[in-house]
Amino acid sequence: MSDIYVKNEKSYRAKKITFNVLTYLFLIAIAIAILIPFYWMLLTSMKSDELMRRIPPLLWLNPKEWQLSNYYRLFELVASGPRRGEPLFPFFTYMRNTVVISIITTAGTMITTVLSAFAFARLNFKGRDILFAILIGTMMIPGEIFILTNFLTINRMGWYDIMNQSYMDVIFAMTLPFMTSVFYIFYLRQTFKQIPNELYYAAKVDGTSNFQYLLKIMIPIALPTIITITILNSMGAWNAYIWPAMITTKDEFRLVSNGLRGAFTDTGTGRTDYGQQMASATLVTLPLLILFFTFRKQIMRGVSRSGIKG
Amino acid sequence: MEIRMANLTKIFTSKKDKKEVHAVDHVDLTIPSGKLIGLLGPSGCGKSTTLYLIAGLLKQNEGQIFFEDDEVSEMPPEKRGIGLVFQNYALYPHMTVRDNILFPLQNLKVEKEEAKRRTIEMAELVGLQEMLDRKPKELSGGQQQRVAIARALVKKPRVLLLDEPLSNLDARLRLQTREEIKRIQRETGITTVFVTHDQEEAMSISDEIVVMKDGVIQQMGLPQEVYDHPLNLFVAKFLGNPQINVFEGDIKGGKVLIEDMHIESAKLPDQQILIGVRPEGFLVDNTLKSDFKFAVNLVETIGRDTTLIIDMPSEEGGLLDKKSFKVIVDASHRIQTGDLVHFTVKPEKMHLFDLDGGLLK
Amino acid sequence: METKNNLKAWFYLAPMLILMAVFTFYPLINAFIISFYKDYLPLANNGTGSISGYTLHNYVVIFKNQLFWKAILNTFVLAFVSVPVSIIVSLFISVSLKAIPKLKGFFQTVFFLPYVTNAIAVGMAFAVLFHKDYGLFNVVLGLFKITPIDWIGGTASWWAQMSALMVFTIWSSLAFKILVFTSGLENIDKQYYDAARIDSASKWTIFKRITVPLLSPLILYISITSLIGALKAYNSVIGLFGEKLGGQPYSMITIVAFVYKYRADFAFQGFYSYAASAAIILFFITLIFSVLQTMVSRSRVHY
Repeated sequence: MSDIYVKNEKSYRAKKITFNVLTYLFLIAIAIAILIPFYWMLLTSMKSDELMRRIPPLLWLNPKEWQLSNYYRLFELVASGPRRGEPLFPFFTYMRNTVVISIITTAGTMITTVLSAFAFARLNFKGRDILFAILIGTMMIPGEIFILTNFLTINRMGWYDIMNQSYMDVIFAMTLPFMTSVFYIFYLRQTFKQIPNELYYAAKVDGTSNFQYLLKIMIPIALPTIITITILNSMGAWNAYIWPAMITTKDEFRLVSNGLRGAFTDTGTGRTDYGQQMASATLVTLPLLILFFTFRKQIMRGVSRSGIKG
Repeated sequence: MEIRMANLTKIFTSKKDKKEVHAVDHVDLTIPSGKLIGLLGPSGCGKSTTLYLIAGLLKQNEGQIFFEDDEVSEMPPEKRGIGLVFQNYALYPHMTVRDNILFPLQNLKVEKEEAKRRTIEMAELVGLQEMLDRKPKELSGGQQQRVAIARALVKKPRVLLLDEPLSNLDARLRLQTREEIKRIQRETGITTVFVTHDQEEAMSISDEIVVMKDGVIQQMGLPQEVYDHPLNLFVAKFLGNPQINVFEGDIKGGKVLIEDMHIESAKLPDQQILIGVRPEGFLVDNTLKSDFKFAVNLVETIGRDTTLIIDMPSEEGGLLDKKSFKVIVDASHRIQTGDLVHFTVKPEKMHLFDLDGGLLK
Repeated sequence: METKNNLKAWFYLAPMLILMAVFTFYPLINAFIISFYKDYLPLANNGTGSISGYTLHNYVVIFKNQLFWKAILNTFVLAFVSVPVSIIVSLFISVSLKAIPKLKGFFQTVFFLPYVTNAIAVGMAFAVLFHKDYGLFNVVLGLFKITPIDWIGGTASWWAQMSALMVFTIWSSLAFKILVFTSGLENIDKQYYDAARIDSASKWTIFKRITVPLLSPLILYISITSLIGALKAYNSVIGLFGEKLGGQPYSMITIVAFVYKYRADFAFQGFYSYAASAAIILFFITLIFSVLQTMVSRSRVHY
């Protein structure tokens, strides 16, 4: 039995150090792999046309060679054609649209989520559990199914008029279908349920109405979760692609994702201007990154908690 | 397998205010081979920390640990050859009892047939051979603990460590289980150290007890020895149920006085002292000559013994941090509430301490 | 006190229910119905649409459609390779992170970046990375004296295109999994690790026989959700290949892309129904997998 009691102390330290070094190397390798696309995006965006066309491509530029011309040109006004007078890449237009849609959808979602989560968590009514189960069931259904009919509905409401779409039309079309989220209702309901019953009874005895209780007690207590939901939801508008692409008729209504994809893919010469493409991609990526670094802890905590379903 | 700790120190630094806590403070301790040793003390005294240092789950800041002649201070736990029974048993919930016990043998690359045999042998030793295919959550607390013991012993460790083995059990099970532990230790002869805050537990089954406080060893010895001859006030107060009575008194002219009542003689210079007398250390003086007399406030007779609870008359002085003291006498003294009773103190039952709690000879 | 809530509760639920009725429940049922329409023209008759009857034929058309089977192939390959690979890689990453408490925060932030970026933008960056002439991948291949491969261009093979898409997909999907697994690992009682060390277990044994089994409920849950998400791949294809959906048109089409293609052709009679049928088929596929995995989880999840 004494064979397990190895006496060589030095080998423990060596083993431990080897293990740590290997672990760090592994993680560094992964980190590099994660960062490469960002690096390449930034790098390409700063290459002048001529540098861009080098084969094999330059792996790195020293600061003297950094060119911001790609970025400048994005904001230049187009000289001729259907988009005369508009910037080449209407970044601010797309941003504005995305932000507007994001705010409206998030506001709407917050309202429906808070009210519904309250009802499911705090109130007792017939059919509560069945209804909740049905809602959970809808989470499993691919969104593509809804889109088909929603497109027709939007059309019937007159919001998708190829000739005559107004900004208001677009807003309605883009926001209404997305003002509810069963997922967030589920998540908030969990949080609400953790608020002890005694608080509710005490408030009732004090004559507080349900709505006041919701407003003055539950929302403040659940504020971290609500803030997390707000942040996560507003990030969603950034990645929306198919729906905006489907229902917008004019470039000026587009959101950031579909505006981006449509740009620079085929210029007259049939060659893609990758430098400009990457510049616009970088611009689009930036705001969300800034948001991330500001609210880093919130976002990561919120995502991890929402990922581990109860 | 003797365990020897030399100058063992473990310091914890709190993250918030950077305060250092010496959980184990320059401890020298030798655990004799083949014995069941109780490591005893209040919460936070360092006993669990000491146990984890022996196990290797914590790394000491200073000092060394030896198993016989092997220095194990730098060895990781997997190489030290110890068995540890955790306070919460730490049974792998997703494995059956059998697999839990087999696990260490598989890691040690023990041959399959032999591993199987030893598993059954261990299960029989702890009386769980019927439960081998159950999962931990299907077992009661006491049964889970026995599995933990089996798992610890199956690899024939040099040392067995138990962390508060009885705290999570209900009272009835506690008595039963502590006898089990004693029995198993006797049968296997393994050097065993267990940690507890319950002095009765430690006293009842240990071959020797070690009393710790604030990371420092207060006393080590045979349970009865430590009980009868505490080396300081802390040890005297920690052992014994009901707790020892501690009087504030003086030595004047070779006489030990409490409230100016003479109780004994002592060849010591005049000074203020603390006098410890256990409840059973008093004798009823039927001759009524003794100075030490009180009116009895409360009498409780349970079968063989009568407990007298007596308030010290004066506001100041008298008892150290209590208002009344207890005396246990034979029930044949038919004492009633309100009786004035004279007491003498058995000299060997009187413990004299200076005001810091140190023993006076 | 409780019964009065009946009416009040429905007031609270009203906004959500109305919106869901219009944009979720009705569409769900409608999708089924549309899939059985014959010669459907959704925008005719001022928007109410016109049909010439009902039929099961739409499904037959789909099942006979080569493009559909291509979509199935692409989607399944993508899902069934990227999900296991990304789960295994993220598991190793999470365990590695746990072993180095010092720089853990820094690495976690870096690893989370893909989650907070725009899929299209990054997809386009990957497109440049995989470019035959201007891309980093071919530079690296050149170091090993391998001739440059056309990954995503007009002459790209299916294998090259799928590899590029796979790399992009796995890259994007690690962030969420790492976060969730890291959190799950923190919830495992440290005592089990201590006990395993006392039981002389090696690091690998601890990983294989303690960590993974205790994490298995979470792993399974992530598998289901990831698989269902992967079956719905679309944005990533658009990001990497653009509207062309491949080096050659539609070579990397996915099931969802297939649905959208036929939806976009709504002016052609009956095409909308094809889209609906394909969507319903997708629904059943994801349903089957969720049910399958739930059944497997009952038997295999450890405790």
